[in-house]
Amino acid sequence: MTDLLELLVSVGEAGCIYGLVALSYLLVLRPTGIINFASGEWVALGAFAGVTLIAEGKLPWIAGLPLAVLAVGLIGWLSERLTVRPLVEGGASVLSPVLALLGMLVVYREAASLIWGVDNMFVPMPFGFGRVEIGPFAGSSQSFFILSVTLTVFFLVWLLFEKTVWGKAFEAVALNRMAAALMGINLKLVAVLAFSGGAAIAGLAGLLVAPITSVHFLMGLPLAVKGFTALVIGGVGRVEGALLGGLLLALVEKLTLRYAPIPSGFAIGVPFVMLILFLMLRPDGLLRAKGGS
Amino acid sequence: MKFTKQIMGLSVAAAMLSVVGIAGASAANIKIGIITDRVGNSAAWAKPIEQGLEMALKEINNSGGILGRKIELLYESDQSKPDVSATKARKLIDAGVVAILSISNSPSTQQAQTVTMKAKMPHMTPANSAGYLTTKLKNPYFFQMGPLGSTQIRTLMAYNKKNNFKRIGLVKDNSGLGTYLGRIFKQSLEKSGAKVVVEQTIEIGSTDAIPQMQKVRAAKPDAIYHSGIVVSAMSTFFKAYHQLGMKQPILGSFNLSVPRYLQVIPGMLEGVAFIDAFDPDKKQSRAFIASYKKAYGKTPFSLPAYGYDGLHVMAMAIKNAGSTDADKIRAAISAIKGYVGVLGAKGASVNFAANRAGFSTQGAVVRVIKNNAHGPVVHSGY
Repeated sequence: MTDLLELLVSVGEAGCIYGLVALSYLLVLRPTGIINFASGEWVALGAFAGVTLIAEGKLPWIAGLPLAVLAVGLIGWLSERLTVRPLVEGGASVLSPVLALLGMLVVYREAASLIWGVDNMFVPMPFGFGRVEIGPFAGSSQSFFILSVTLTVFFLVWLLFEKTVWGKAFEAVALNRMAAALMGINLKLVAVLAFSGGAAIAGLAGLLVAPITSVHFLMGLPLAVKGFTALVIGGVGRVEGALLGGLLLALVEKLTLRYAPIPSGFAIGVPFVMLILFLMLRPDGLLRAKGGS
Repeated sequence: MKFTKQIMGLSVAAAMLSVVGIAGASAANIKIGIITDRVGNSAAWAKPIEQGLEMALKEINNSGGILGRKIELLYESDQSKPDVSATKARKLIDAGVVAILSISNSPSTQQAQTVTMKAKMPHMTPANSAGYLTTKLKNPYFFQMGPLGSTQIRTLMAYNKKNNFKRIGLVKDNSGLGTYLGRIFKQSLEKSGAKVVVEQTIEIGSTDAIPQMQKVRAAKPDAIYHSGIVVSAMSTFFKAYHQLGMKQPILGSFNLSVPRYLQVIPGMLEGVAFIDAFDPDKKQSRAFIASYKKAYGKTPFSLPAYGYDGLHVMAMAIKNAGSTDADKIRAAISAIKGYVGVLGAKGASVNFAANRAGFSTQGAVVRVIKNNAHGPVVHSGY
């Protein structure tokens, strides 16, 4: 039983990280229709921002975290302004920005290796390393920190989408861009907010996971794959779907690693199996969009 | 038009002068080619080896060089790609080097050999540990100076036997080298009478290693062997180990001799035993440590010593050959016997007379991490 409860904390931690990356995809995809495969690199940039601000700049986490998130958000804004918007305004097909962002993936990655080098880097944990027990659950302080921050972020984003006019504007653009534009919604502003928000959320995921895994310029890709799988599982239509997809993916992954009578090397394929199964059997994911989009 | 012609004329003259200048400056130098890796998977290992090469270069040139000439190192980066390594070997030969040192990874060095063997170019790796480098190709011009992987494993097995670790938990990552080392660990452990009771793989990029380490904990091993090399997977391994309150001794490969792990996972590697080829208490090592500290302002670990010893041996061979003729250098390397460098346990020496893999089979050591630094030697030889 102790094992299972420890494992559930591990599931929560991993699921939250996958969920945040999935949310980054969703924030960009929903109003713009663009799948941003550079999300993983935004994750890495968030982690590197943590290196500069917290590890090297000696800022406390309470200051370093918002600054890092803002910095990556700014990179997202620049990506939209300099890469995506010129293509959209030039009448390019929706595939063009997807390919342009794939190119940006390489730019981000190589820039990170030039700025921060090719060696792994360290980011300290906000509450130091140690085993923390909350009731029957046990994990590291970072596990519980990740859970708390992620749940807060998801709640705030959910509130934004459900209760504010900004969220409704996003949803309207997602449902029908033309109608939304005719209603006076500024499509450019929505796009720029989507990219900035998506980048900020991905950067947050990178910063949160950095103290556990260390920081490396190639760290983004594996998390981009897991985040995309979580998005497919949860569905692209709802904010809570991203978290649900992340948690379900982590649950299956960890339970397979711990209890399935197969070599752990084979369990690495679990996310890909889930991705294929969901794409084949339930391509809309577990939660469908409210408007039926 | 006249002005353009003048500019062109001046440019041609300047270019000719610069070519003559370069040729004039380098004609007196003995060029040695270095195939390194500055951007690929082995960059983190090759960079400190280059520091050792540069230290040795300064020492040799400051004491008058060899054969009355200075040494000049020509670097080429192969990105740890075998095909690129072969191309770089060709490029260095065309640039007029008299010998090549390879400090990238073993597969790349093997591929570079196909070029150096054909060109009859003296070629040595001071660092690569793969045993096949001197056995797969019958290349009399190739030499291997660092400890072979088999020597390292045997030394670790001897340490294992001394500690009577019978039930082993084996953890690796899914990198190529990590998987390969895991297989070698397993074969060697089982051959020495120990039993691998649990074997786990940590995926590169995973956010933790709790499920794998729970399995290891449940199997109740006497000791845990870690064959992984990827820092992120190593980080999750050690965090899970401590988080789950595990106490089993951890033994690791030579990769743990790279201090990057100590910087990225500070304080979590206390007591970990790892293979090395560097005894900081040896007389030659103490002198090397003092010089390195003076040059780089920090305490060295084993990798710079690989470059340092490698260039000193090559320079000694050229000096003994009395010429830069390839066959004479090859013969001089073959004749090296009883060379005591910085690397190796106390009493160990390099001998190329009997074997082109010249590092002493008793030269590897086991060290323990103490106070977040590479601690003393606790075992040597087998």
